[in-house]
Amino acid sequence: MWPRTCVRFRILVEAAILTENLTRRFGDFIAVQDVNLRVEPGQFYGFLGPNGAGKSTTIKMLTGLTTPTSGRMQILGLDLATSLVEVKRQIGVVPEGMALFGRLTGSEYLNFCGRMYGLDRDTTAQRAAELLEFMELTDHPKTLITDYSHGMQKKLAMAAAVIHGPKVLFLDEPFEGVDAIASGTLKAMLQRMIAHGATIFLTSHVLEIVERLCTHVGIINHGKLVAQGSLDELRSGITHDEIPGERMSLEEYFLKTVGGPRTVSQELSWLG
Amino acid sequence: MAGLMPEAREQLRAVAALRWHLLVNSLRSIRGRVNLVSRIMAGIFVTGAAVGGAFVVGGAAWQLTRTGKLQWLAVFFWIIFLFWQFFPLLATALTESEDSSSLLRFPLSYRTYFFVRMVFGTLDIATALGFCWVLGLLGGICAGAPRLIPWAVIAVLTFILFNLLVARLTFVWIEHWLSRRRSREIMGLLFFVVMISVQFIGPALGRYSKVPAVKRFQYASKLNPVQRVLPPGLADVMLTTAASGNLAGTCGSLALLAAYSGAALWLLHLRLRRQYRGENPQGNAGKAKAAVDGVLRRGWKVPLVSAPVAAVFEKELRYFARSGPMLFTMIMPMVVILLLGSGRKSWFAQQSEFFFPIGAADCLLVMTNIVYNSFGGDGGGIQYFLMSPVSFRRIVFAKNLAQSAVLAVEVLILLLGVTLVYRAPHLAFLVLTFCWYLFAAPLNFSAGNLLSVYAPKRIDYAIFGRQRASQTTILAGLGVQIVVMGIGVVAIFVGHRFHTYWLGALILGVLAIPSIAAYVLLLRRMDRIVMKRREVLAAELCKA
Repeated sequence: MWPRTCVRFRILVEAAILTENLTRRFGDFIAVQDVNLRVEPGQFYGFLGPNGAGKSTTIKMLTGLTTPTSGRMQILGLDLATSLVEVKRQIGVVPEGMALFGRLTGSEYLNFCGRMYGLDRDTTAQRAAELLEFMELTDHPKTLITDYSHGMQKKLAMAAAVIHGPKVLFLDEPFEGVDAIASGTLKAMLQRMIAHGATIFLTSHVLEIVERLCTHVGIINHGKLVAQGSLDELRSGITHDEIPGERMSLEEYFLKTVGGPRTVSQELSWLG
Repeated sequence: MAGLMPEAREQLRAVAALRWHLLVNSLRSIRGRVNLVSRIMAGIFVTGAAVGGAFVVGGAAWQLTRTGKLQWLAVFFWIIFLFWQFFPLLATALTESEDSSSLLRFPLSYRTYFFVRMVFGTLDIATALGFCWVLGLLGGICAGAPRLIPWAVIAVLTFILFNLLVARLTFVWIEHWLSRRRSREIMGLLFFVVMISVQFIGPALGRYSKVPAVKRFQYASKLNPVQRVLPPGLADVMLTTAASGNLAGTCGSLALLAAYSGAALWLLHLRLRRQYRGENPQGNAGKAKAAVDGVLRRGWKVPLVSAPVAAVFEKELRYFARSGPMLFTMIMPMVVILLLGSGRKSWFAQQSEFFFPIGAADCLLVMTNIVYNSFGGDGGGIQYFLMSPVSFRRIVFAKNLAQSAVLAVEVLILLLGVTLVYRAPHLAFLVLTFCWYLFAAPLNFSAGNLLSVYAPKRIDYAIFGRQRASQTTILAGLGVQIVVMGIGVVAIFVGHRFHTYWLGALILGVLAIPSIAAYVLLLRRMDRIVMKRREVLAAELCKA
């Protein structure tokens, strides 16, 4: 029976990603608690949080890999509980484990992925070739994915996630273990997608990446969404402790929000 | 450890503690506890084999020494040597190699590293058994001829040292090769080819057993001069020359045996030194870059099915084609048929009309390895299936379609083989087998699809051995096989009883109707089942 009112319905359909009291429990442990996310179409949304905060669980729920214990989710106005297949058609995902088939070559894998999304053979082959070229993976046409380096696997997973031209892209730690060159390639592709109107939802614990790429940020800690908004909004919400009027870096804001580390002077005095 | 620096001693203690903690922590899971129980059972067996073997070898050595037939001790030296060296080799081919060079990130001196590799690598079954048996041999020699004790001790100790060094040397090289996927696959394949060849030894020996014993002895005696200059033979030569008072011969044999040990030590040092200096066994430095392939590659076009089904079908067959173990299974039914027919006088050899149905049943049995754990080889790829907009009904159907295609090819090869080697099966047998497939295959696919979702287990199609499905799968699979094979046998029996196998075919054809219906019904429910099990599926198959 959701949405309940016309006004609410209008708001809901406008969001690219929307969750309402999203909760996931594993026994007594609450991984995600009452998360209310709102990501507008065209936004580059960074979902930040320390390790174990609930980022991956959230993204798994949003992409249909995990069922929420309670709460609701909509992607592009489609309810995940009732229109899961339709939602899957509209999104692309690079999950934590990259979801690769190790004993295929890169080209075979992309051909497989395209057809799984209903693309015809010619279109799939054309896009696969372009993506391999763009990702600089054409030097290894006969190498099995299992023999790819980690960075190459990440690039391939990214290529597979976009081959069908998704409107919303979910990326779980896309730059983890990726070198600067591969990272640059991936960023270029993401910026291009944003320019073409796609929405990107990215989780990361690397603050600099989020700060450099994203327009909007959500911060999750201990399963709860502790802050959400545009980068500027988040920054302007807090004044610098020592220099009044100075803008905070996202790192400073992040550490303030989730609780900063203990000072080195307090402990580990034996460190040179 | 007394000669080692305090830091090195602490490092060795740390390595020992690490191994202990690994063992203790493994007991947290049920699988770990079951493993411990099986290790204890194996330990009891090994102790029995060690003590029993030592007594047997010792008794034989005592008898041979007492009667002055020392030259026959070479047989025992050779047996112990071959077991000591080849048993770990076969065990390694069955398992994933452990990257013991991970210790290198710590500030270990080369001496300590060498010591760690020697000591901890030596704690294995083959060494324990080999060591006990050699001690039994020593005990027997000493009891049979006390005057030989000094030389026997020297010979046996040098022999033990040689074996320890060669075993380590072989292992570090095997480890080096197995760290590469492709060489691991090749070794696994070679191992299984050897295992199959072993199956033919019995029939071959039976065929050539008519050669007189004297002639066989002559063949063996020709090898004697060769074995005398090899380490196990040298250990024996030391003893025979010592017994005859030929000191020069004894010292010469000892020197040569020591030289062999020195060579093994030097080669081991070379390999470990390279490892210590940071050689990356998985590096790609020597790998030639493949040429750029500019050709646009399209996926397969499979008639009558949708694009996603065709994509999964293609993926499955590519996986199959790249799996040495899976390809290997294709020839197994033919091997079974050849084995059945190899003993010319056996009852089976006279029943060649049954070979095709037997082989066909074996084909299905072999295929259950894949069917009953059909997501096992996908590993992390299962997430892709879960995220894709394709229903699991279609994914599972495509997988079954691919499995059926492989099965069809396998049965065709079998049919050709049986026709060429024996004779073409009777048409009634062909139809009966076909009807049995119509009944048995859907039933197996239904059970397999359910078990694939309810008891998944990650496997690597590229690796041989020790990759069993879960216990649930094995038990349930066994039950289904007993039912389908039993019904097949009953159908054949009925046909035989009423002198027409067409009757058996009819029975199986009728049974195929509910079997196919059950398959279709289950297929329709696959999405619901998978949705309930998706988290377990992903968690189990995405394990590192």
